[in-house]
Amino acid sequence: MIYVLYAIVLVICIYTLRHYFFTLNRLFGFQRHPYIDIDTADWPPVTVLVAAHNEEKVIANVLSALMTVKYPEDKMLVVPVNDRSTDRTREIIDKFVEEFPGRIQPFHRTSGKGGKAAALKDAMELVDTEVILIFDADYIPGAGLIKQLVAPFFDLEVGGVMGRVVPMNAGTNLLTRLLDLERSGGYQVDQQARMNLRLVPQHGGTVAGVRLSALREIGGWNENSLTEDTDLTYRLLLNGWKTAYQNRSECYEEVPENWPVRIKQIMRWAKGHNQAMVTYSLRLLLGKHRATLRERIDGTLLLGVYVMAPITLVGWALALGVFYQGVAPLHGVIALLSITAYAALGNLAAFFEIAAASRLDGTRKRICLLPFLILGFAVSIFSVSRAAVSQVSDLVTGAEFHWDKTERFRKVL
Amino acid sequence: MNPYIAVAALVFVVGMMFTLPLVPALLELRRKSDALPLSVVQQNAGEIRHFANSFRTYIKGLEPIMQRCIVSGTTDTGTLSDGEEYVVLGRVDEPLVRRLAERDAIHPVLVMAGVDLVVPPEATFSKDIYARGQFEGGEKSSYRAILGERSVHLGNASRVLRWVHAVGEFTADLGCQLYGRISSDLLIRLHADCSFLRVNAPRIEIGPSASIPDAPLRGSSIPSGTGLGTSPRFLHDGDFEILAGQVIRSNLVIRGNLHIQSGVRVCGSVKSVKDMVIEDGVSVEGSLISTRTMRIGPHCAIHGPVIAERGLAIANGTRCGTLEYPTTVSAPEIEVEEGVVVFGTLWAREHGHVVARA
Repeated sequence: MIYVLYAIVLVICIYTLRHYFFTLNRLFGFQRHPYIDIDTADWPPVTVLVAAHNEEKVIANVLSALMTVKYPEDKMLVVPVNDRSTDRTREIIDKFVEEFPGRIQPFHRTSGKGGKAAALKDAMELVDTEVILIFDADYIPGAGLIKQLVAPFFDLEVGGVMGRVVPMNAGTNLLTRLLDLERSGGYQVDQQARMNLRLVPQHGGTVAGVRLSALREIGGWNENSLTEDTDLTYRLLLNGWKTAYQNRSECYEEVPENWPVRIKQIMRWAKGHNQAMVTYSLRLLLGKHRATLRERIDGTLLLGVYVMAPITLVGWALALGVFYQGVAPLHGVIALLSITAYAALGNLAAFFEIAAASRLDGTRKRICLLPFLILGFAVSIFSVSRAAVSQVSDLVTGAEFHWDKTERFRKVL
Repeated sequence: MNPYIAVAALVFVVGMMFTLPLVPALLELRRKSDALPLSVVQQNAGEIRHFANSFRTYIKGLEPIMQRCIVSGTTDTGTLSDGEEYVVLGRVDEPLVRRLAERDAIHPVLVMAGVDLVVPPEATFSKDIYARGQFEGGEKSSYRAILGERSVHLGNASRVLRWVHAVGEFTADLGCQLYGRISSDLLIRLHADCSFLRVNAPRIEIGPSASIPDAPLRGSSIPSGTGLGTSPRFLHDGDFEILAGQVIRSNLVIRGNLHIQSGVRVCGSVKSVKDMVIEDGVSVEGSLISTRTMRIGPHCAIHGPVIAERGLAIANGTRCGTLEYPTTVSAPEIEVEEGVVVFGTLWAREHGHVVARA
């Protein structure tokens, strides 16, 4: 038992160091934004896919925003992917099609497998451009965003592009404020540090782009994946393509405003991520492909982030067990490791990362909310662990995954 | 000590230890003093003319005064609603204009000239200038910002601190220091020893009039979105060299140093993960990207974006982009020799410098 505990503490230490390394890189390292300066070019034709399943509350906002972006009109086609919606989504999309003839080509999907990846896969029949951008329906792109997301594709190594997500309903309540801080840490520090260090920036599946030839090379969208974005990141990587992160290509999104919706969302992410971990981690770490050593290590650690929650819980249980058994070998070392483990369990490293992100964002007062993040982490650790357990039990019982769409909170237009 | 008091004190102290760190958090949660969404760049993202456009809007209210001054041949002074002092020039021989013409003078007022404006040497303008006519700057003068409706010409060793936009041509003579954004709707010419950061115009000429034709790359029909690399991708791990005179009909991704010898023609885009050296007379129909340094030799023609993550040097006679398909040339440090022409954007994040032809 004690050796399992040692192993868990070691893994937690590795993740702690990783947090610090990323944060210090963001604060003091060389910052890479190689494509953000491309403001003049022979811009390529682009297809913008907008994934929408019962999105009557938000679909008009994203389509309106896309109709005003600064990109040559004759080179941009917007394809709203209306995936079996039963609300007014279709009606709203069709209204836009009438209002902007030739600029929007709807894809109304009435049957087929559920999930975003399956819908995008079906919508590919309308796509013939080399660059594809993807937005979820609750996002609101700014005027310059399309060019910024297209620019990295001038680099032939780049197969996928990811922009930064910024909550637009940050001030609604405690949860949205905590999610605002988490997003800040995740993008401003984590993703950008990976970009700086040439590691594995993660494709987020929205405010994102993919190169058609790369997508075809890796076999298209994987409709069996629960998180098509993570799946895409790793298949691109294994096939010699990079994902570029554009920290200054920001886009507003709507974050969950109540805990049940947040819990459902994070459980879905955890299951998808764990699915990708099982599928790709060994191949990435040990397989024969073009990823560099640093990409192999970082990619594997990234795949393991959601499994760290149940591992941490097991670590806590083991630590208690060891304590009550009266086992206390290597007192000094255990003490040292315990302190380090505490720093990670208490997420001092993650707190540091988020505080650094707030500083980089130039925000001041919201950092005061940092102690409340422990609440967010507590909810996450149990939700993610529950997701992992249910995933294993689903595997045993053969139960199928039920797709839960994230609820929207905007008023219907 | 009474054990009950001791326990109560312990509970109180521990309670305070847990509660106190939460006080600022609770206050912020209640006050929502920093709860607005992060300010995301929206409508003006990356627009080089943003400041010029904003300035034009800002001075719109002075248009009637300027018209009156031009018609009556007078000058006028006043204060804008935000407290900014201005001077409107409708003729050039007024006392106010003569004061502007004094050597070494410092002018902390916004200047709006309805006529051609000739600035004396070594003058300092700490506020923005609007010139409806030609703008002719003297040597060693300093400007905050200039918006010229016709051509703008800066004398030797002048300095611009924020931005210049010329609807006509913009010329910077020897040794000018151009901080911030420099744009023209027609042409920009930078002479030797000028330093620059961000420059944008349909045609940017380095040094005296360059004789580079705006012709398409030889014999190629270039599709829209060149530099994107729709043709096959050749991926190579390690250093790579392309021998002189070869024609490469694919995109190249080299995970090492890349050396392209003279006269090579690449019908695609090129990326190197380390340094890239390109000899003379090379043509590339797509983009050129290096994650370290890039050195482009003389008389090359590059069609797509040119990006170097560390440093970039471009030798004379090289052309980047075309008038029909403008492009971006960007690196933290750029050294560009006289005789180079860039169509579009030339952007040095940290330092750009024009060197005289050897």
